[in-house]
Amino acid sequence: MKKHNIILPLYIIWLIILVLIPFILMLILSFAHTDGLDFSNISFSLTNFKEIIDPVYFDAYANSIILSFLASLICLLLAYPIALTITKFKNNKLKNIILIMFILPMWSNMLLRIIGWETLFQPNSILNYFDISLNLIGSPIAVVIGMVSTYLPFMIFPIYTVLNKIDPAVIEASYDLGATKTQTLRRVIFPLSLPGIYSGITMTFLPSATNFALPERLSAGKINLLGNLINSNFGKTFDYGFGSLLSVILITIIFILTIFINRKDKDGDLLL
Amino acid sequence: MKKLIELHHINKSFDDQVILDDFNLYINENEFITLVGPSGCGKTTLLRIIGGLESVDEGQVIFDGKDITKLEPNERTINTVFQKYALFPHLNVYENIAFGLRLKKVNEKEIEELVKWSLKLVNLNNYEDRKIDSLSGGQQQRVAIARAIVNKPKVLLLDEPLGALDLKLRQNMQYELKELQKKLHITFIFVTHDQEEALSMSDTVVVMNSGLIQQIGTPEDIYNEPKNRFVANFIGESNIIRGKYLGDKLVEFENVVFECVDTNFEKDEICDVVIRPEDFDVVSLDKAKLIGIVTDKVFKGVHYELCVDINGKEYIVHTYEEAEINSQLGLAIDPFEIHLMKVPQIEKA
Ligand SMILES: Nc1ncnc2c1ncn2[C@@H]1O[C@H](COP(=O)(O)OP(=O)(O)OP(=O)(O)O)[C@@H](O)[C@H]1O
Ligand SMILES: [Mg+2]
Repeated sequence: MKKHNIILPLYIIWLIILVLIPFILMLILSFAHTDGLDFSNISFSLTNFKEIIDPVYFDAYANSIILSFLASLICLLLAYPIALTITKFKNNKLKNIILIMFILPMWSNMLLRIIGWETLFQPNSILNYFDISLNLIGSPIAVVIGMVSTYLPFMIFPIYTVLNKIDPAVIEASYDLGATKTQTLRRVIFPLSLPGIYSGITMTFLPSATNFALPERLSAGKINLLGNLINSNFGKTFDYGFGSLLSVILITIIFILTIFINRKDKDGDLLL
Repeated sequence: MKKLIELHHINKSFDDQVILDDFNLYINENEFITLVGPSGCGKTTLLRIIGGLESVDEGQVIFDGKDITKLEPNERTINTVFQKYALFPHLNVYENIAFGLRLKKVNEKEIEELVKWSLKLVNLNNYEDRKIDSLSGGQQQRVAIARAIVNKPKVLLLDEPLGALDLKLRQNMQYELKELQKKLHITFIFVTHDQEEALSMSDTVVVMNSGLIQQIGTPEDIYNEPKNRFVANFIGESNIIRGKYLGDKLVEFENVVFECVDTNFEKDEICDVVIRPEDFDVVSLDKAKLIGIVTDKVFKGVHYELCVDINGKEYIVHTYEEAEINSQLGLAIDPFEIHLMKVPQIEKA
């Protein structure tokens, strides 16, 4: 308990400097109009709010939701059987090794991996040796594949954690009461793994929806997501007001989703 | 009586450790059979083999004349009350109990009736909507019993199902379970640490030690005529004394000759004599066959438990009358209270 007394104030200072102050600044900026970084002619109004419902941006919103939803879904369909299979291994060392094999790619630079995909997706790539030309660059498929490969470990890990924690006796009880393997999976194992699925979805959906480097490279700039929108407002058109508003909205959505996950995850050991 | 379950030459090891060694057992239809034995002797393993949750290395499990050794647990009409309850944490009490019925596609109205009936049985009326983690250990244990019984299986395996209950509730549940077993004609295979429970509930008691059956018999047999030292010590308290059979229903121990009822011993055969603490009669010194010094006494509610030193050996004696420590105590034993056991060959040498 003593330890908390030292760490807690530090943590709060950290939070204020790195989260709260920037957030407040952005909140203020979302009402503001400036000439780029020149704040001398700053004025405040609600026009930024009107701008967000401009149909020009609907594509980016839709892309964010649809593509990241697809990516999360595919991640879930891949991760669940993988996680389930890993839990079946009796040997704990082996379990960890397999798990690490899936998580290892996370430790390499994400941009590097995306550029790898990018070259592979070009009409002319190393795959030409096998008479294959993927030619996927610029397509939504390329973006989704990129997202899945990047965020799959974030889906495997929380699902594996909950599955591994299920008391084997409960599964035996299900068999004992007459359930087949499939019925046990549907009625016992799946419901008990829901918290892991919720947190896996948050951890794949949110970063997918807000990523900007990934869609930019794999779609050759043709597909914009929310992240690209924010990026171009800050980095290209220098519309700090509108960029801030988009960021504030995004943070709010993430915040709400995180609260929802925390509710479902009472033990608090699912988010990486 | 019809044999419902037969275990033939069951062998089971975990990592080279032999748990069950050529185990053979018959269980009759409608029988209430209880397995007792020290912790780790293989009781749970045996139940798991019958329920199909554990495979055997060798041997056969026969159910109703059919070999079920290779059948999955869900293919057996056997239900289990698990030692650690194993309730479904994501379902409430109602859904836990309804689990088996749902799988059998029983209609909703019937499910509701059966769940109510089983909850009443385990004294948990109106607990339908409670979450499992809001229940006490004893309540969870009773839900586990209800969840198994509601399926009315042919055989119910109960692994220490009353261990978490207080004395009063336990006695109630013992009675309820026994009644239920008679009423529903379910074969009960019951595991308990509580020997009193074993003796009072069962038709047949199986005493196990390190994967071997020490004795099978009615509760009376087991208590009054234990086959060996292990059973005599494990079931109730015993004074076990080395003696010599003199022939003609006479046995000698502590240098005194007693009348007894056993006959299946050779003349001059060394034997073990079992005398239960409550079978000693305290008599005046002139009528006594054994005389000892009281070294300790403990009040046990109904009786006193005395430690009595006879010729330097300690005996346990139960009596209703108090005795002073360090006083002399005269003891006599009725012939039918003296039980003789064979001494294992290795010990005789
Ligand atoms: N899965 C397993 N792997 C290895 N050893 C096991 C396994 N299951 C049981 N054992 C061992 O088998 C022996 C018998 O265990 P079992 O659970 O059958 O005992 P028990 O008679 O039910 O004991 P208790 O009265 O304490 O419940 C123990 O020594 C235990 O350590
Ligand atoms: Mg056990």
